[in-house]
Amino acid sequence: MAGEMMTGNLAAAWGARLAGVDYIPAFPITPQTEIVEALAEWCDCGAMPARFVMMDSEHSMMTAAGAGAAAGARVFTATSSQGLLYAFEVLYSVAGWRVPLVLVNVSRALAAPITLEPDHNDVLAARDAGFLQIHAETCQEVLDSILMAYRIAEDERVMLPVLVNLDGFYLSFTREPVIVPDPEKVAAFLPPLRPAHLGFKASAPHALGVAVLGGTPYTYFRHQMHLAAMNALQVHREAAADFERLFGRRYDVVEGYRLDDADDVLVMSNAFATKGRAAVDAARAKGRRVGLLRLRVIRPWPAEAIVTALRGRRAVGVLDQNLAPGLGGILVQEIAATLYHDPARPKAICSFIGGLGGKNIHEGEFDAIFARMEQAGKAGRGEGPVLLYTEAEHREMEQLQILASESRADR
Amino acid sequence: MRSIRFHGRGGQGAKTASRIVGTAAFLEGLTAQDSPLYGAERRGAPVSASTRISREPIRERGLITRPDLIVIADESLIGDPTARVLDGLSERTVVFVNAALPSEQARDQFRIPGRVTTLDLTDMTLRQFGKPVALSAPLGAVACRLLGLKAESLKAAITGELADLGLPETVIEGNLALAASCYDAVPVVPVEEMAGTPPAPVSLWTPVYEPPTLGSARISASANSPLRETGGWRTFRPVLVPDKCNGCWLCFVYCPDGVISMTKDDLPLIDYDHCKGCQICVQECPTKALVAEREQEGAGTWRAK
Amino acid sequence: MTWQRETFKKIKQIPREEHVLPGTSLCAGCGGLEALRLAAKVLGDDVVYVNAAGCFTMLAAYPFTPFKGSWLYTTMGSAPAGAQGVRDALDVLIAKGRLPKRDDLKVVVLGGDGSTYDMALSSTSGAIYRGLDFYYFCYDNEAYGNTGVQLSAATPYGARTTTSPCSLQHPAGTIQEKKDIFEIWRAHKPPYIATVAPRYPLDLAEKFARAATFTGPKLFLALSACPTGWLYDPGETPEVAKLAVETGLWPLKEAINGAVTHTYIPKRKPVEEYLKLQGRFRHLFEPTKQEEAIRHIQERVDAYWRQVNV
Repeated sequence: MAGEMMTGNLAAAWGARLAGVDYIPAFPITPQTEIVEALAEWCDCGAMPARFVMMDSEHSMMTAAGAGAAAGARVFTATSSQGLLYAFEVLYSVAGWRVPLVLVNVSRALAAPITLEPDHNDVLAARDAGFLQIHAETCQEVLDSILMAYRIAEDERVMLPVLVNLDGFYLSFTREPVIVPDPEKVAAFLPPLRPAHLGFKASAPHALGVAVLGGTPYTYFRHQMHLAAMNALQVHREAAADFERLFGRRYDVVEGYRLDDADDVLVMSNAFATKGRAAVDAARAKGRRVGLLRLRVIRPWPAEAIVTALRGRRAVGVLDQNLAPGLGGILVQEIAATLYHDPARPKAICSFIGGLGGKNIHEGEFDAIFARMEQAGKAGRGEGPVLLYTEAEHREMEQLQILASESRADR
Repeated sequence: MRSIRFHGRGGQGAKTASRIVGTAAFLEGLTAQDSPLYGAERRGAPVSASTRISREPIRERGLITRPDLIVIADESLIGDPTARVLDGLSERTVVFVNAALPSEQARDQFRIPGRVTTLDLTDMTLRQFGKPVALSAPLGAVACRLLGLKAESLKAAITGELADLGLPETVIEGNLALAASCYDAVPVVPVEEMAGTPPAPVSLWTPVYEPPTLGSARISASANSPLRETGGWRTFRPVLVPDKCNGCWLCFVYCPDGVISMTKDDLPLIDYDHCKGCQICVQECPTKALVAEREQEGAGTWRAK
Repeated sequence: MTWQRETFKKIKQIPREEHVLPGTSLCAGCGGLEALRLAAKVLGDDVVYVNAAGCFTMLAAYPFTPFKGSWLYTTMGSAPAGAQGVRDALDVLIAKGRLPKRDDLKVVVLGGDGSTYDMALSSTSGAIYRGLDFYYFCYDNEAYGNTGVQLSAATPYGARTTTSPCSLQHPAGTIQEKKDIFEIWRAHKPPYIATVAPRYPLDLAEKFARAATFTGPKLFLALSACPTGWLYDPGETPEVAKLAVETGLWPLKEAINGAVTHTYIPKRKPVEEYLKLQGRFRHLFEPTKQEEAIRHIQERVDAYWRQVNV
């Protein structure tokens, strides 16, 4: 096997290192810390010609990152969960500045209750900020996506920041073989950063991020961000082709697994998609014609690729590793809206909620998913949100509740 | 429904005037709606407020685009393109201008196509209070009269609105007296319903992508703010009495907006396109070489203390 | 020993050139703008202003900027972090030869008291702690002015704001004492801190000239008399600023590497003369005079100057 064993976090750090970033403002948060630790060491020992600065919060970190990029530097930073939310207003600000920085988010479920393991309520909360989003399934993809992220972000047709997501624990602390690309090839893939609208200098002053008065300029500029994000679909296509030519690995905005003759398709994202592939194989062994569609790029929303992959299917299931209280799954809404106008839209769309707070999704749960999808497809009526939560898990839960509620007198 | 749009400069009382009319109409059993248009603008900058009164439910929101009555607190706003005081008016729209000119003359001089009526509220206010203060009560009084609202509703509305602002009773009393005389003195032109210009049909436009040099909120022009003139903010202008000037530079140094420069002979040169009329130079001039003159043709000089 | 000005001795040494041009939508008579304009005469044009949300946000409003230098609007809570990002990027780009040294800029944070005393305190503390080479210009008008004059941690005892009204429970209005941000900054030991007031232009200009000789955080707290929030006629801005200094309420001072010098020793008029001028203190005088509140303010000033030991 080629490459070397490394964690998703280290792969992320390698992505920043190979991209030749100039500036890294940082702030630690579990499970992201290993990224900034590696970068701090490399900057300190001279392996990376970048300035590494420890900031006082994610809010400051994100501001410094945006400001450094506004000043013309190639900037990298990383956070997770509460940190992403602490930086939240700044995400919108720097996207509005149109700075092409790359932010890695290591997914972790949001407090309260506070926890450490992943789900995607953190990263999906940021989906409307103006950042593009790439969600990685493997440690290799983390590294490769960071390189692609800079290439796309820095394209004059885009000029938006990109968030690359990896799941806490399941990728961040998980080692698997990763090929570290050749720096010379990376240089060929990623041209030097020369943004026309950025860079503060005495000889060419400009004002950035200024206030606008009235809805007209606001509408125009915000819509330009939308057009820029939509341009990223084409730019991604070009970058993916170049990446494949140089490195031999192919990344599309969505990735299908055993779709060709599939009746029913399950839609997933991030690290658990690996388990989804295994579940597809297992289901097929039992005679179900099922497939998997992994969403890799979530902003821009790859509507055309999704319709192409899902039209004509009997049932589509969306496994949301997030929960919007009062609504259900987040991604299923976008999938359903995307499919609505297609005359060959699937007969049923089912919504599943699973993997919250890093909870495992068992093989049996995947069996249940495919069974319910088949049933829904045959009936022509979708269902959900269905919570992936087992009887055994609930018995465990009841034990915890007893322990939590037992008073001293009861003992 | 009748729609009344107030225009003034920040601090002149257009917003409170719009509320006085809203409250007065409400007290007479009408449905009313009043709302200010908040820009980022400050004291002295053009502001507007909208009041709608009706016997039916009001199915509108925000800035009035088809005004039946336009109330202009400051004639200098008419020539200020950013103030857009005459937007949406028709020949049937009634336009009140606070000016020391007869209605016909104001109509011609300011080239207002609507039905114009005037009264010199600034002068009446100066007489009442001895200094320039907000014109909320006089503007509200004029509007109420033109709309046919009763004097007692006006009185109750002014009392309530000014008390809400925390003004002392003596000031409210003064405003009530002033409002009563404005109510009686304004030449009445009846306000019709739906007098404004009906909205023109619109075509939707689909923007295309532009590089962020143009497509983001970015200014590459250097120091272009003087393109925006703020001279219209003034109610009073500083005027130099050259004989009295000792060339001390203090007016130049203290001017917040940097609109005073010193000539080779150390005389202050005032940029009236941008002077906001704060009167700091007048107040600080050690030799009283700068005096404040009211910004109105034909009006007498009013001197700061 | 009295403090000596070395660069700016006469009023006619104030540079004629303007660096913050007119046409902005700030209030007529803005004391903060008056202070910034004077500061900019010393700072020049090779500057990038990193702005926090506040009244000064309206200085650069699309499509107009009053500056010949650059501008970046950040957020209310993180302008010093924005300054960090800009400074670091300029350093890196110069070191890597991607930006000529002659294109280097001074980085100047602009923050109101709401940002400075409250929201951006963590960000500011971090920037000072990291020894960031920047200027911090706080225009202190002692309230959240841009939102219509609400209580901030810079609002002094006895002032009325829209969220600290004069009431039966609190007849004095604001009951908290103004946060001593100068001492909070000083505890971080930056090389230079100064207070300034626009009515003292030579003192102000001299301090900006002195600050230029220091690398690291350079902090300026500018009294920004505010006709809109303090309720006085705009023409009285210099007079109000003058009385703030002459009563001893706003000490003009600097701290070089922590060592404090008062740059002007007022004869200390009674605080009443300052308070009486402003509508935000009117409730201390009418309908009945609140002797105790006024005495409290006077005693605080007296206590301050006793410990100054001039």
